Amino acid sequence: MADGAVKGQNNSGNTSAGHADRYGEEHVPSFWVRWFFSTNHKDIGTLYLIFAIIAGVVGGAMSGLMRMELAEPGVTFLTKFVDGSLEGEAQLAAASNFYNVLITYHGLIMIFFMVMPAVIGGFGNWFVPIMIGAPDMAFPRMNNISFWLYGASGILITLSILAPGYGSQIGFGGGWVMYPPLSSTTGSPGPAMDLLILALHLAGASSILGAINFITTIFNMRAPGMTLHKMPLFAWSVLVTAFLLVLSLPVLAAAITMLLTDRNFGTSFFDSAGGGDPLLYQHLFWFFGHPEVYILILPGFGIISHIVSTFSKKPIFGYLGMAYAMVAIGFVGFIVWAHHMYTVGLSVDMKAYFVAATMVIAVPTGIKIFSWIATMWGGSIDFKTPMLWAVGFIFLFTVGGVTGVVLANAGIDHYMHDTYYVVAHFHYVLSLGAVFAIFAGWYYWFGKMFGKEYREWLGALHFWVMFIGVNLIFFPQHFLGLQGMPRRYIDYPEGFALYNQVSTYGYYVMVVAMLIFAYAMFDAFFIYKKKAAANPWGEGATTLEWTLSSPPPFHQFNELPRFDGADAKAV
Amino acid sequence: MSVRQMAFYFTSVIMVLFSAANAFAAQDSGAAQDAGTQAATNAANAGQEIAPAGVLAEAPHHANNGIALLPAQSALASEVHFFHNSVLMPIITSITIFVLGLLIWVIVRYNAKANPVPKKFSHNTLVEIIWTAGPIMILLYIALFSFDLLYNEDVTPDGKRIVAEADGSTTSFTMANDFASDSRKVSRKEHVQVFVQQGENRVKLRNRDYKLDGLKSDAFTVTLNDAPVEGSLVEIHAGRSVVGAGKNKEIALAPFMTLKVNGVQWGWKYSYPDFGDFEYSSYMLPREKTTERLYRLAVDNNVVVPVGETIRVTTTAEDVIHAWAMPNFAIKIDAIPGRINETWFKADKEGLYYGQCSEICGVKHSFMPIAVEVVSHEKFKAWVDEQRAFAGMEPMFDGTDERLASAELAVSK
Repeated sequence: MADGAVKGQNNSGNTSAGHADRYGEEHVPSFWVRWFFSTNHKDIGTLYLIFAIIAGVVGGAMSGLMRMELAEPGVTFLTKFVDGSLEGEAQLAAASNFYNVLITYHGLIMIFFMVMPAVIGGFGNWFVPIMIGAPDMAFPRMNNISFWLYGASGILITLSILAPGYGSQIGFGGGWVMYPPLSSTTGSPGPAMDLLILALHLAGASSILGAINFITTIFNMRAPGMTLHKMPLFAWSVLVTAFLLVLSLPVLAAAITMLLTDRNFGTSFFDSAGGGDPLLYQHLFWFFGHPEVYILILPGFGIISHIVSTFSKKPIFGYLGMAYAMVAIGFVGFIVWAHHMYTVGLSVDMKAYFVAATMVIAVPTGIKIFSWIATMWGGSIDFKTPMLWAVGFIFLFTVGGVTGVVLANAGIDHYMHDTYYVVAHFHYVLSLGAVFAIFAGWYYWFGKMFGKEYREWLGALHFWVMFIGVNLIFFPQHFLGLQGMPRRYIDYPEGFALYNQVSTYGYYVMVVAMLIFAYAMFDAFFIYKKKAAANPWGEGATTLEWTLSSPPPFHQFNELPRFDGADAKAV
Repeated sequence: MSVRQMAFYFTSVIMVLFSAANAFAAQDSGAAQDAGTQAATNAANAGQEIAPAGVLAEAPHHANNGIALLPAQSALASEVHFFHNSVLMPIITSITIFVLGLLIWVIVRYNAKANPVPKKFSHNTLVEIIWTAGPIMILLYIALFSFDLLYNEDVTPDGKRIVAEADGSTTSFTMANDFASDSRKVSRKEHVQVFVQQGENRVKLRNRDYKLDGLKSDAFTVTLNDAPVEGSLVEIHAGRSVVGAGKNKEIALAPFMTLKVNGVQWGWKYSYPDFGDFEYSSYMLPREKTTERLYRLAVDNNVVVPVGETIRVTTTAEDVIHAWAMPNFAIKIDAIPGRINETWFKADKEGLYYGQCSEICGVKHSFMPIAVEVVSHEKFKAWVDEQRAFAGMEPMFDGTDERLASAELAVSK
């Protein structure tokens, strides 16, 4: 950032610890008001990140229970978690229900309560206003409501796990997609499903409000001279994501509301006996569900662009192409939904269309991958922790991307659909894609957000152990899928034993990685306690957040930075 | 080391890795076959490990800790294998290795030590065009195979067959070209296959062994260059349902029978509408009634179908959605309450094939496997009559059934 481009932010007098000192003469509210009635985008971002970490621990623990059950054939592990008085078939049914509940809530929690709050609520809230030179979000109180609706939603989904679902079992065990009739009174008569629907209503409302906030902020509050074509790519990614949210979540809301009335008020939207159609739900769900996967990954794309550019000390290659590739991915993402439904009995011409449309997505995605590499090309790359995660992301996202091209072909998908190949594919793009982007962003902005530095070698160690762990979990799952193992199975024939065992070992390696992460954070806050510089990354870090102190002042940009000078460029 | 040398070494490494991967995959499926055959032999020898319900010995076609697609047991599944193993895998492997290679290159060449002063470029129109157009070309190449395969899978075949006994002098055989629509009429040489069977010996004639006249019209004529020996059988298959990969393409014939599949929590009901619509249930066998390897795959009552015939499968469900999957035939179709779905398969070889429910359907989702037993026509007829007897119906087969009789002519080898 050229000197003089940013003026007026209060970044003096913040070298000592403690809120009062850090914020100098600024008015900082009391603890209760600051964190519970918060209207400050940075504080709300922090709340979202805390929320995402808690959800990540819960969702990760659930996957641990699943992997430990799947370590060997036979239902031997989850039986320990069910009513001890049960025996034989009843015990098996209870354990199987628990397994189904785990797969369902693992998916929902990781998607709605971990990745979305982390990338949009957390990093989006923290850095979109700063990057565009705005003092805060457009609607600070709505921002607060968005977060606390998430809290309420979290309470409802927790209640849902504990409420009766099928028979005497608790929780809803029909997968995160919640297809009727398994999710209607036929398959899940208890209130668990109703609570889950209400939880998703609130989470959806929260995200829609958040998205409206982002769109308004980005369209109206950019610093003078910062045109959309000068706006940093992370802000672009959140803008595209916000449009996807606003357009897709109401469709989910409609689908689950119809499900709710089918369950409780005698309607039959999804019941063929009453003139409805179970497939109508699937169309509505995936009209939301496919954009949703781009909602999860697009902000990650933005984060990776910044990190690659920063550590290569080069401007991002093909900035406009990168921005419009995200727009293209977002647009095409809306017209490919039925590739999740190749086996439901669609007409062949319809499948042919969805094959073609789905494969088109590979083109803008390829542009992004190659542009990141071109950004590195000719650079002077520092392989600091965030850059390790970013390079890991690029490679693993490529692996997940090419298996997506395989699955796009309906002719192959009739074999692969609902097998572990699909599980491997979407975990490569999400668990190894979105999550790697989250860690990349976390390490990149950690000093900026919290004013502390982590120990570099701990971050690098975390990366390498995690990289090995997740690949060990998910790569063998391609083999399981090719051998035909269906997903959502608590038990499997002997012929699937080997790679399930390998996958479970991989999970243990990943647990070690997460322990390293926890220690690295503990170390950064309580042992290392090294103050972070305003810009620890040097010449490559050109966006506005690096012009502020670490952490930034409670209110930044009291006087707006200007981009109408000829020397200033935001990218 | 020069850039050129590095590029050379890099390419060599890719080639070696690639051929190693191929060799490994090939070896793997071979090993799986051997292991399966071995197990079948052991089972037969041991006596007590005979597969359930008095059917065939353990089939070597199900998962065996391998890394490849399960063995293809139909022409259509071979086409799926070809598409995956020979079209998609080389492409996705090369792309992944290419990206990995580029990453390694920038890591080695452009790290801060090797390249202390960063360049400042951020555009290059040529490479941007290349990396947009390149993937488009690759996708178009994939699409060439993908759509063919999809339509082969999803359009129920309508191939026809005539069988004529040769009299030693006739060389011309006429066949009606009466398909449902003009777009399904036989119009090219690939739409016709001619076989001559003499005793046990059955040969497929090459394209140059015969001439075709009257394609696209209401009837066409096959004229053989040489008259077949008296008493041999001339069999002509015609239609546009050309499935399979490479040289093993075949014309899939119109369905011989329909299998009705009905999913329930947690098992399957099957019925045979062409043979009196008898119905029976099929549930997973408990551990003590099967082998350790087949436990969770074996069922009490298998689906029984004749070998070499196109089977139309229709699916529905009573309670929640299930999915009927048969990986050896590369098919999977949801069974949805209130709807009827359709697919088809044609098994090449006799044997016992396994699949598993592939749409989550409740607590025993993992315990409702599918077993399809492919048998000879003789056994199939006997089995049908047995089932009809259970259902209180008269036997159907006394040796005069036209359809089965002609079918036998065609498939006996």
